[in-house]
Amino acid sequence: MLPWTGVPPRAWTSALLLIAGVGALALVVSLIFGNTGVNIATLAMLQVSAVLALATFSGNSGIVSFGHSAFMGIGAYIFGVLVMPEAIQASALPNLPVWLHGHQMSLAGALLVVAAAGLVVGILSGFPLAKLSTGSAAIGTLAFLIIIHVTLIGARDFTRGSQTFYGVPRLTTVYVAFLAAGVLILIARILRETPLGLRLRAARENEVAAAASGVNVRLSRHQGWALSITMSVVIGALYGSFLGAFSPKDFYFDLIFTLIAMLIVGGMLTVSGAVAGTVLLAGVVQILRQAETGIDLGSLHIPSIFGLPQLGMGLALLLTIWRRPLGLMGLREIGPDWPRRKLEPMPSEALHTAPSGAPLEVDSITMRFGGLVALDNISFVVPPRQVTGLIGPNGAGKTTLINIICGQTKPTAGRIVIGGTEMTGEAPHRVAVAGLGRTFQNIRLFDRMSALENVTVAALSKGYNAANARRVALAELARLGLAHRAEDLAGSFAYGDRRRLEIARALALAPKFLLLDEPAAGMNPAETDALIRVLESIRADHEIGLLVVEHDMRLIMRLSDRMVVLNKGQKIAEGTPQQIRSDPKVIEAYIGTKRARP
Amino acid sequence: MDVVLQQIVNAISLGGIYALLALGLAVVFSIVSLVNFAHGELMTVAGYGMFFAAAVSLPFPFAVGIAVLFAIIAALLTERFAFRPMRKADATGLLLTSFAVSAILRVIFQNGISARPKPVPLPSGFAGVIDIGFLHIGIVPLLSIVMTALSLAALILFLNRTTLGKAMRAAAEDFQVLRLMGIKANRVIAVAFAVSGALAGVAAVLWIAQRGSVDPLMGFVPVLKAFVAAVIGGLGSLTGAVAGGFALGILEVLFQAFLPDAALPFRDAFVLGFVILILIWRPDGLIPAPVARRS
Repeated sequence: MLPWTGVPPRAWTSALLLIAGVGALALVVSLIFGNTGVNIATLAMLQVSAVLALATFSGNSGIVSFGHSAFMGIGAYIFGVLVMPEAIQASALPNLPVWLHGHQMSLAGALLVVAAAGLVVGILSGFPLAKLSTGSAAIGTLAFLIIIHVTLIGARDFTRGSQTFYGVPRLTTVYVAFLAAGVLILIARILRETPLGLRLRAARENEVAAAASGVNVRLSRHQGWALSITMSVVIGALYGSFLGAFSPKDFYFDLIFTLIAMLIVGGMLTVSGAVAGTVLLAGVVQILRQAETGIDLGSLHIPSIFGLPQLGMGLALLLTIWRRPLGLMGLREIGPDWPRRKLEPMPSEALHTAPSGAPLEVDSITMRFGGLVALDNISFVVPPRQVTGLIGPNGAGKTTLINIICGQTKPTAGRIVIGGTEMTGEAPHRVAVAGLGRTFQNIRLFDRMSALENVTVAALSKGYNAANARRVALAELARLGLAHRAEDLAGSFAYGDRRRLEIARALALAPKFLLLDEPAAGMNPAETDALIRVLESIRADHEIGLLVVEHDMRLIMRLSDRMVVLNKGQKIAEGTPQQIRSDPKVIEAYIGTKRARP
Repeated sequence: MDVVLQQIVNAISLGGIYALLALGLAVVFSIVSLVNFAHGELMTVAGYGMFFAAAVSLPFPFAVGIAVLFAIIAALLTERFAFRPMRKADATGLLLTSFAVSAILRVIFQNGISARPKPVPLPSGFAGVIDIGFLHIGIVPLLSIVMTALSLAALILFLNRTTLGKAMRAAAEDFQVLRLMGIKANRVIAVAFAVSGALAGVAAVLWIAQRGSVDPLMGFVPVLKAFVAAVIGGLGSLTGAVAGGFALGILEVLFQAFLPDAALPFRDAFVLGFVILILIWRPDGLIPAPVARRS
C-alpha cells in the first residue's frame, strides 16, 4: 500500500499551490534583481526546504528541535567531500582517508549517498530522542547540536576543523533549489495526512490520549525524526554546495535560530505556515542585511547595527508568540476545498468485531506506593455484552485501578487479562489495540485536529489503510450523531459533543471492552439521559463489555448489570445494582449514614 | 595521588558552576515551565557588571556584589517585560520567547558595549596556589567551591526557613493550589526569577575568575551545559539540578583526564554522548521532579 493512498485531494491542491507560489515569487525576484535576485531566490528556496525538513518533525510532533542545523552540516560536509575535484581535495584535505579520494560524484549520485547517510544518522539519533519526554527532548536536540558541532570541528582530516572548508562545486543552481523546495513541500504536505502524520499530530495534541488510541508514540516520533533528519541532511548538502565554502559555525546556532524563527512566525502547525514564514522572514532579513552597514538618508544617518537580522528575527519571534501564538497561518492550509470526493462511511456490518466469549479479568491486583497500599488484592471480571459499574468514594483507588488496567501503571502484583490475552504491564497503546477502548475523566481530544482525524487515528491502529480508516471513522461519527461536524476542529466542540467524540474515537478501535471514566461528569440531567441512550445503543450494536466508572448514582444504577464497589483499596462489594443498593457495607462506606438517592 | 586529588578539586569546582546554573534554570522551570535560554545572558550581564565596577575601580568584593545585583535586575526585567506578557503561552512558546530574548540581548551587548572581550581585572592573589601538605590547589577552584557551597547553603536556608521560600517550594509542587491559598502569583514568580538571577550572577563571577574577560557570548556555552545538567538531573527538580551539574562537571574532568590526546577535541561530544546514555537509562533524569498524574 502506497503511503499516500487515502490522502484527501485538497492536500495535493494546496501543495501544488504552494509550489506554484514559491516558484512565482522566485521568478519575480530573479527578474527584478538580476543575478543578485537569482541568488536571493536560491537561498530563500533552500531555506524553505530546510524549514520544511524541520517542520516535518517539529511541526507534527510539537517538539522544537535545535539540532537540525547541525545535521544539515553533516550533509554539507559529506557532499563536499564526495563532489570535490580531486586536485582541490588533495590540497584542502591532505589527510583524507584513501577510500574517500577523488570520487568527484555527480549531484544526483552524491545526494543519494548523502540521503542514505542521513537516514542512518536519523535512525541512530532517534533512539535516545524517542525515549525522552516532550520537554526533555527539546533539550536533547540541543545536545545533538553541540555534539555534531564539536565533532565537525574535531574531525579535521575530513572537515578542516574550524577552518573554512572550500572547493565545493556550486551545483545548487536556482533550478535545483526550486526542485528541492517543490519536493519538500510535497512531502511535508502529504505527510501530514498519512498515518504517520496523523499519529504524530495526535501525540502532539495529547500524548496520553494518543497512546489510548493505539498510537505507539515513541515509534511514531522515531520515524518522524528519522525522516525529518534525512531531509535536513540532504538539504544541508545542497546548502553547502550553494555556499561553496563554509565552516562548522555556519551550521550552528545562527542557522537554527533563523530556521526556527521562520517556522514559528509562519506557524509550525501547517505547511503553508512554514512556507509563508520562511518567505516573509527571508525578505525581511535581506532588507535588514542591507541596512546592517548603516543607512544614509540625506541628513539622517542611521548608524550600523551589527546583528540587525538577528535582532529583527528575534523581535518577529516575540511578536508572533505574543500576538499570534499559532503563527501567521494558524491552523489553515491554503487552497480551496476541492475536488471534494464524497467519502462513503464504512457499512456498519463491517465494523463489528468477532464476538469473543472471554472477559476482561482483573486478577488479584495489588498496588503499593511505598508503604501505602492503594489497591489490596482486587479481583473482578468484566464480562462481554454487559455493563459493569465501578464505584467508590474519593481515594478508593479507582483511578489507580484504571491506570493499571490501561497499562499506564505497572501493578505490584496481579494480572490483567483482556479477552484471554494477558496484558499486565503492557504499554497503553498495546492494551488499546488488544481490545480496550477508553475515555477520560477530563476529556482528552486532539483539539487542533478535525473530528474525523481524531477518530481516524484510532481506526488506523486497527490496521485499516488510510482510506478505509477514514471511512470507519465517518461511520463511528455518524453513529454518535456527529457526522455533519466531521471536518470541524475538535477544540471547537461543546461539552456534550466532546464526550461523544471521545466515545466515537474509542469505538473506532473496535474494542472488545470500553472503559468509560466518569462519562457523565459535568453533564446536566438531559445530557446524561442522552448519554445513557448512546451507551445503551452501543451495547446493543457492539458486542462489547462496558466498564463504567461513575459518581452519578442514577446513571450507574440504571445502566449497570453488575457493580463492583471499592473503598480504601479494598473491594467491599460486588453484585447487581439491587444488591449493592441494599448492601450495608456499601451504604456505610460509600453513601455514608444518609440514604442514597436512587 | 596528588594529580587525582587536584582533578577531584577541578571536577567539584566546575561541577559547582554547572550546578548553580542548572539550579537557576530549575527554580524557574519548576514554577513556570520555562526553560530559560536567556539564562546565559544573565551571566553576561553580571560579567559586564564586574567590568563596569572595575572601570570605576571599585574593590573586588563590591564588584562581585554588583555583578550579582545586575544579574538579579536583568532577570527581573526579562520576567516583567518578556515572560509575564507571554504567561498564557505553552511551554514551547515560553522556550521560544526566551530563545528570542537571548538573541536580542546578545545583539544589544554587541552594539551597546562591544563585540570583543572586555578584560575584567582580578585580584593579584587569584593566580596563586595554596599548599596543603603535598597538595597544590589553585585559589580560583578553591574559592569557587567555597562560593558554590555558600550559595547552596543560602538557597537551602531561604527555601526552608522563609515564608517566600516555602511558598516557592509549594509553587513548584502545585502552583494552582498555592494561588488558592492567597499567595500572589506574580510575587512568587518574580522571586523565582530573582533567585535564578542571583545564582547566574554567582556563577558568572566564578566563570570570569577563570577567564578574566567578558564578551557578549560568554554565557552561551556554560548555559548550554547547564541545560544538559538540568535534564540529566531531571527537569524541574532542584536536587536533581545540583546532582546533574556535579555529574556533568565530573564527567568533563574525567574525559579531559583520561581521553587520549587524539580524542581530546571530541571531549564534549563524548561527554554529551555519555549523557545521552544516562538518559536512555533514565529518561526522566537521575532525580525526577514529582509529577502529579491523574487520568
